[in-house]
Amino acid sequence: MAKSGYKRRDNIAGYIMLSPWLFGFILMWFLPMVISIYYSFTDFNLLNEAKIIGLKNYIRIFTADDTFRQAFKVTFIYAIFLVPLRLAFALCVAMLLNTKHMGLGLYRTIYYIPSIIGGSIAVSIVWRQIFGNQGVVMSLLSVFGIEQKLSLLGNTKTALAVIILMGVWQFGSSMLIFLAALKQIPNSLYESARVDGAKSLRIFFKITIPMLTPTIFFNLILQIVNGFRVFTESYVITDGGPLNSTLSYVLYLYRRAFNYFDMGYSCALAWVLVAVISVFTVILFKTQNNWVHYESGGDD
Amino acid sequence: MVGMKEKKRVNSVLFHLVSCAVGLLMVYPMLWLFASSMKSNDTMFKDAYSLIPEVFDMGTNYLSAWRGVGGVSFMTFLSNTVFVTVTGMAGCVMISLFAAYAFTRIKFRGSHFWFSCVMVTMMIPSQVMVVPQYIILKKLDLIDSRTALALPWFFGTAFFIFMLVQFFRGVPKDLDEAAEIDGCGRISILFRILVPVVKPALVTASIFAFYWIWQDFFQPLIFMSTPKKYTLSLALNMFLDPNAYNNYGGLFAMSVLSLMPTLIFFIIFQRYLVDGIAMDGIKG
Amino acid sequence: MKSRMKRLAALLLAGTMIFSMAACGGKSDPADKATSDTSSNTSDNASNNASGDTSGDAKVTEAAKEPVTIKIAWWGSDKRHEYTQKLLDLYTELNPNVKFEASPSGWDGYFERLSTQAASGSMPDIVQMDYLYISTYAKNNSLADLQEFIDSGVLDVSNVDENILNTGSIGSKRTGIPLSTSILAVTYNPAAIEAAGATVPADNWTWEDYIELNTKVAQKTGEPSALNSIIGPFGDSNFFNYWVRQHGGMLFKEDGTGLGFEDDAITAEYFQMWKDMSDANVSPDPDEQSQLAAVGKEALPIVNDKAATTIEWNNFTSIVSGANDKLKLALMPSSFEGNGLWLKPGMFFSVSESSKVKEECAKFISWFINSEEANDIIAGERGTPVSSAIRDYMMKSGTMTEQQVEMFGYVDKAAAVAGKTPAPDPSGIAEVNEAFANAGNSVLYGQATAQEAAATFRKQATEILERNNAAK
Repeated sequence: MAKSGYKRRDNIAGYIMLSPWLFGFILMWFLPMVISIYYSFTDFNLLNEAKIIGLKNYIRIFTADDTFRQAFKVTFIYAIFLVPLRLAFALCVAMLLNTKHMGLGLYRTIYYIPSIIGGSIAVSIVWRQIFGNQGVVMSLLSVFGIEQKLSLLGNTKTALAVIILMGVWQFGSSMLIFLAALKQIPNSLYESARVDGAKSLRIFFKITIPMLTPTIFFNLILQIVNGFRVFTESYVITDGGPLNSTLSYVLYLYRRAFNYFDMGYSCALAWVLVAVISVFTVILFKTQNNWVHYESGGDD
Repeated sequence: MVGMKEKKRVNSVLFHLVSCAVGLLMVYPMLWLFASSMKSNDTMFKDAYSLIPEVFDMGTNYLSAWRGVGGVSFMTFLSNTVFVTVTGMAGCVMISLFAAYAFTRIKFRGSHFWFSCVMVTMMIPSQVMVVPQYIILKKLDLIDSRTALALPWFFGTAFFIFMLVQFFRGVPKDLDEAAEIDGCGRISILFRILVPVVKPALVTASIFAFYWIWQDFFQPLIFMSTPKKYTLSLALNMFLDPNAYNNYGGLFAMSVLSLMPTLIFFIIFQRYLVDGIAMDGIKG
Repeated sequence: MKSRMKRLAALLLAGTMIFSMAACGGKSDPADKATSDTSSNTSDNASNNASGDTSGDAKVTEAAKEPVTIKIAWWGSDKRHEYTQKLLDLYTELNPNVKFEASPSGWDGYFERLSTQAASGSMPDIVQMDYLYISTYAKNNSLADLQEFIDSGVLDVSNVDENILNTGSIGSKRTGIPLSTSILAVTYNPAAIEAAGATVPADNWTWEDYIELNTKVAQKTGEPSALNSIIGPFGDSNFFNYWVRQHGGMLFKEDGTGLGFEDDAITAEYFQMWKDMSDANVSPDPDEQSQLAAVGKEALPIVNDKAATTIEWNNFTSIVSGANDKLKLALMPSSFEGNGLWLKPGMFFSVSESSKVKEECAKFISWFINSEEANDIIAGERGTPVSSAIRDYMMKSGTMTEQQVEMFGYVDKAAAVAGKTPAPDPSGIAEVNEAFANAGNSVLYGQATAQEAAATFRKQATEILERNNAAK
């Protein structure tokens, strides 16, 4: 990078604008990150003096930990299914709510409720009620002649699907972001397209989607990150069971850190996760020039 | 002409039918929670799956919720939560806005590096951050203070910075360039030109910030130890011990009470999502 | 790159300085209440000062007792928080020089917070401690040795059973004082048993009787009848420990470095028994079990007269008495040579090693377990009181509910036949429990035979215990 690329005035202005965040970042993130990287090379168990043990934690992750593999598999499957499903659902509902109908405010609120109620005990009981062995879904299945001894939540093959479904159910945040983005598309674009006689499907693909790409990109990255960091769903609904079939990666490292007194190892697990997510994120950032449309002319 | 009208009506009925069906799935847990908050504690789980209480005991539950838990009243928890949420939200939205502006509209040395830092903070599980954060806050003598609760939010979060960055990028640069020629400074460009355009995004960010801070649980749980300074989510956590007699009625009643403000906040602010200020007339 | 690091360091320095300055400023001026919010220490100082001013004349009468503040943490439900606060107030009334900073908590998150506090050397002075974790804390020198206070007479444990007192001793240190005793029991529902035309358990019943009884009731109701609390037969290792002890072994070696029994057939037999019962719908399958785990103990079918028995600690009848006050306790079934029962400490009070007021803490704990006044307030909520004198006092006082009488009576009955209390659970127990649950459930799910699962459990448990308890 040539030095002439930056103006002194811009450098100063940039850092002034950035400084409040930078201050918080260093205090609440940068220093803790450094400390946790340090922990990941130690045998720290929260109660002892941490002793450096080199790469042992990382070696253990990749050579001697079956649960790690299981948790990684579960999380990977979760993310692969959750991301497209949640985005598609959120976008559809956002489009639906971006029309002109009565009571839109009410629907917006209702659809957002699952995200507000979060991972409370009420949710855990209700989801068991719906998908458990006396639940509505099982009765429905038996109406169609599908009789099973185990419920969807009790079956090691299907429990993860229920967890994914719950993730999709909490689509409210993505929906709101799409709604905000839809509002930002100038009406004039639609009007001129209509004047030109374009059909609504064509308008959707030629105007709506391209204008939404920055938001789709954002939501995509966000959901991938959140998908890999899934914790609440598997903690609240199944606690990782049955037989670790819904044990998410973060739930596993949480147990390692606080239940098994294995903080050093847990930190190592966390940084492995960061590395994995980074790979996906970097790939997506590299591809964005090909499909994301920025009105501001994109990244410089 | 009549056909058009008919079609519109059918469309509308269809829309409401689908919306209501999906909506029922969405609100069911909330309804359940509300129904349970009216059930008598001792028979709570005899009819756990029913929405109509067998034995009504709303008074006891809500009274117990109002009195609070651990010798601290509901109002104290509420005012703590409001303080932390409002402070955290204000700082979070403001500072994220500045950072996002810097990342998208100013070409400065190191911006790419700092932006990747933003992204990394989004990826690292907070479960392993909490111990180092505790140690730092302890050094700063901030442990067990409400400041410690607002602090992780106050200085902006990766989510909002990234989101606003994406929205700013959707705004043509000719807008601010025109303003710059008119002699506007950066701050006034940000507030006069960009903020109105990305208002829906800011409202969205505020809604998110509000309820995230409102129900923030894990970090507060670790950082706080004096009930008088607890937020509502910590108060709720004080109710349960699987090996003791539990006051589920009070818990559910307090859950309902603590959900209300988030819901009201959302209902008020979602209006602003309806009429986003479009860029009509400026472009095209 | 270099200049970037420099800039970062400078910022960092500036940041820390600003904050430490803010903190110092606050501290030196305790009157400035408006800003004191940012620092817990500040408000400490402020309140101490305030109390110093007002209790000026009290000091004259109270001799020269140093004012102390004890930080105390416990978990529980809101009922426990309420009366414990009353208890602390009463103690302050009796000992005006002692003030408390209480931090009550639910069970969830209690140990997460405690270990984080320990990591930064700021544990509360008195902590309620669980059997599950006491070894780990003790081994890492986080808990104080209270023996000196027992020797000096500050901490009176003369009415505490030797066996149960020793459960708080890790290595050579007395790191926890048990507050209550619990013993495994079969809680049964007479109404459900009667409805099925079966007879209620006798004290010398066997596992065959147990299965027969539950089969009868299950056939009558069509629902599983042999329950194991909300956690199931593999939920933690205590139920299994009873089984192993019946066979004359013990679950863990004294030093915690491995399993304390050699024969995997013992494990396999346990798995197989529950597998058979689960298949016959006499006990819940894992699916039904997780359904039970989602709601509280109050929701167990036995409370609703739909099941005959549940294996639980003996305080269960008392916990659910609000929903059903007709439940009774029977001794655990036994078909083998050894008697598996043992007195388990319900919970401990421990004093942190970092505490500066250890003696005052010991004094309070002594009062807590021995004072009649205190136990009037506690009213057995933390389990059967550990002091025999207090148990007698409460029995005589006539203030107890029928369920509490049942619970107390059971302790005496069971203690008479109970064996030696095992060494406290070794470090790594939470992980061992997880491995055990997975092994057991894999049998119920038909993914492994009982023998295979038993071998898997041994392999995993041995690895975990060695990793956690190997001499360092």
